[in-house]
Amino acid sequence: MTVDVDSEAYWPADADDVDEAVVANWFVREGGRVDAGDTLCEIQIEKVSVDVDAPESGTLAERVVPESGEFRRGDVLGRIESA
Amino acid sequence: MVSVNTQREMYEQMVTARRYEQRLQEEYLEGKQPAFDISAGPIPGELHLAAGQEAAAVGVCAHLDDDDTVTAPHRPHHVAIAKGVDLPKMTAEIFGRETGLCKGKGGHMHLFDPDVNFACSGIIAQGCPPAVGAAMAADKRNEDSVAVAYLGEGAVDQGAFLESLNLAAVQNLPVVFVVEDNDWAISMPQDRVTDVDTPADRAGGFDMPGVRVDHDDAIAVYEAARDAVGRARNGNGPTLLDVQVHRRMGHFMGDAEAYRPDEDSERAQRLDSIERLADDLRAEGIGDDELDEIRDRAEERVEDAIAWAKDQPEPDPAAAHEDVFVDDTTAASGGED
Amino acid sequence: MSERATDPGTGDADRELTMSRAMVDAVAAEMRADDEVFYVGEDVQDYGGIFDSTEGLLDEFDRDRVMDVPISETAYVGAAVGAAQAGMRPIAEIMFADFVGVCLDQVYNQMAKNTYMSGGAVNVPMVLTTAVGGEYNDAAQHSQTLYGLFSHLPGMKVVVPSTAYDAKGLMHAAVRDDDPVVYMFHKRLMGIGWMPAPEGPKTPVPDEEYAIPLGEADVKREGEDVTVVTLGLHVHRAMQAAEQLADGGVDTEVIDLRSLVPFDTETVLESVEKTGKLVVVDEDYQSFGVTGEVVARVAERAPDSLEAVERVALPDVPIPFSRPLEKEVNPQVDDIVAAVESVE
Repeated sequence: MTVDVDSEAYWPADADDVDEAVVANWFVREGGRVDAGDTLCEIQIEKVSVDVDAPESGTLAERVVPESGEFRRGDVLGRIESA
Repeated sequence: MVSVNTQREMYEQMVTARRYEQRLQEEYLEGKQPAFDISAGPIPGELHLAAGQEAAAVGVCAHLDDDDTVTAPHRPHHVAIAKGVDLPKMTAEIFGRETGLCKGKGGHMHLFDPDVNFACSGIIAQGCPPAVGAAMAADKRNEDSVAVAYLGEGAVDQGAFLESLNLAAVQNLPVVFVVEDNDWAISMPQDRVTDVDTPADRAGGFDMPGVRVDHDDAIAVYEAARDAVGRARNGNGPTLLDVQVHRRMGHFMGDAEAYRPDEDSERAQRLDSIERLADDLRAEGIGDDELDEIRDRAEERVEDAIAWAKDQPEPDPAAAHEDVFVDDTTAASGGED
Repeated sequence: MSERATDPGTGDADRELTMSRAMVDAVAAEMRADDEVFYVGEDVQDYGGIFDSTEGLLDEFDRDRVMDVPISETAYVGAAVGAAQAGMRPIAEIMFADFVGVCLDQVYNQMAKNTYMSGGAVNVPMVLTTAVGGEYNDAAQHSQTLYGLFSHLPGMKVVVPSTAYDAKGLMHAAVRDDDPVVYMFHKRLMGIGWMPAPEGPKTPVPDEEYAIPLGEADVKREGEDVTVVTLGLHVHRAMQAAEQLADGGVDTEVIDLRSLVPFDTETVLESVEKTGKLVVVDEDYQSFGVTGEVVARVAERAPDSLEAVERVALPDVPIPFSRPLEKEVNPQVDDIVAAVESVE
């Protein structure tokens, strides 16, 4: 089963007026194993950094937004193939 | 009120310290005549003697035990004696011998005795931060030991001291800063370099108690230190204790004190804290024969320490490369793996 | 001396970390294992370190384990010395290496010398962390590395990680070391949002603990033709240069020193004995520093192997502010390529 990592779920409350962000760092390679709660990537909304934790355990099937890639609020960041 | 026993113990330590400094002066000057060559003789290098400052050492250290940390500056011997440092090994270190406290690597300004948590250092005021650190460790470990940092009145203008006062105060650490005010920073009189009247006045700016003992009196120091050390031990934070003392000899051996007015030197000779305590003891009923006995014992202890030290071997030159690190996988020179 | 986990090699960990996260990973693990380890510095609590050196620690540890201190380096670095002599294992941070000037006595006269001056009667098991490096226009007082200064003064070990993997292993080793270790982390390698890192410092990092022994350099790229010895940020510039040079048929060996004190002369010698050509790249001032030291050691031990040598370092000038000026003084990839070509 594939689970989308949805950027909406991680958007901080005090960044309500901002729509765009960047994936500053990915911490898991495509094909790499993750446990639920592990830090998948770090997104940056203006000056604020937010850690995105894996919602499920499994394998990171795809980095939909690449490192340094820009995205909009609500975009899918990555996909996890759950174990 | 100070018990007679305590007064007697302090007296013995003061007499020991005074005798020690007098004897070291003699040993030091040997071999350096006729023209003063600082590196000649059995005790080479600088020597800063504390004759006249004994009250500041014994009055405070009487409240300390081995677990309490003391850092002292370049004029350390009286404090070391009061703290219980191993006297023969300290003496051997001053004579640069292999079996000295520091294997001959530190000398008189860098004496370390971890058994009683004593260390001294030669850079003005730089003993204050490590004392704060020892207090920090006691605080973190929930122990009731305290730290005491000694410094001269000339050091109260140095950043390390001021920063240490603030850090100790803002973190409420169990440390006592003891200023030995002997009026002279080498040749600079205190009122020419520091704008406040006495070092104790510095405390107000740091939100800590500042206590001035303005007569050179072991009992007065003892009583003030009891409060200060007690405050620290009870978790009530640091104190700045400022003690008037009188430097009887020059700043360092070789200092002709040309800058010092005769009346000032004479006054130092007159205001002898040891004589003062002797008078107090006589008033308590202690006879001169007992005082003489104490003095004899002190002299013997000093002689034994010096004799032992002079009998110790010099270090092997190869040892100069060791002890840079305790984990000595690295040779000192060249730093190869 | 405390036990060390052996270095499991770069391995094949699933997760990659930025250098700052790897560093914090190690600090947190050491703090969990030993109550006597604590971190002290400016802005290390709620801010998580100006360069992310303590990011997240406050979520797990109390404010008495991760301590903000007043701006008073002499006091708190000196306090760390005192606490270390009492047997604790403090990690004290000087925010920018350039600030060592304000507390240099506590560093080089106290921390570095107390073990020796006491004849080994006391030791100072502390870590002094500090952010180094430039090329983000922070000018002369905030951009230095000062590798030479810390290495030249006796009595302190000095390590310089260039990757996340190395950062974690060296931090474990540094905390467990019973002597003072200066841990110099490059700002641009940390993976900070507002100072993007180049390719290279983010690496796979094993979950388990491991310590990289001090005094071991790492051959980051094997090669037959030229030896490039470097550290910190310039490891990655050297790797980029090596790629460019490979296109032209030159095979470059890149050695990451990782440790300045102790220094791994053997690895450097082995390489120069193979290639005969030495280029040393350093982000510190050229004269009386790391580049001269490396060349001297090779010249002393393997003079016959050394056919050609080139030093690429900051010239002896204060680091300028304006971008073209700063790029002029800080060795660029092109400068490394040119240096290699000149010895070939």
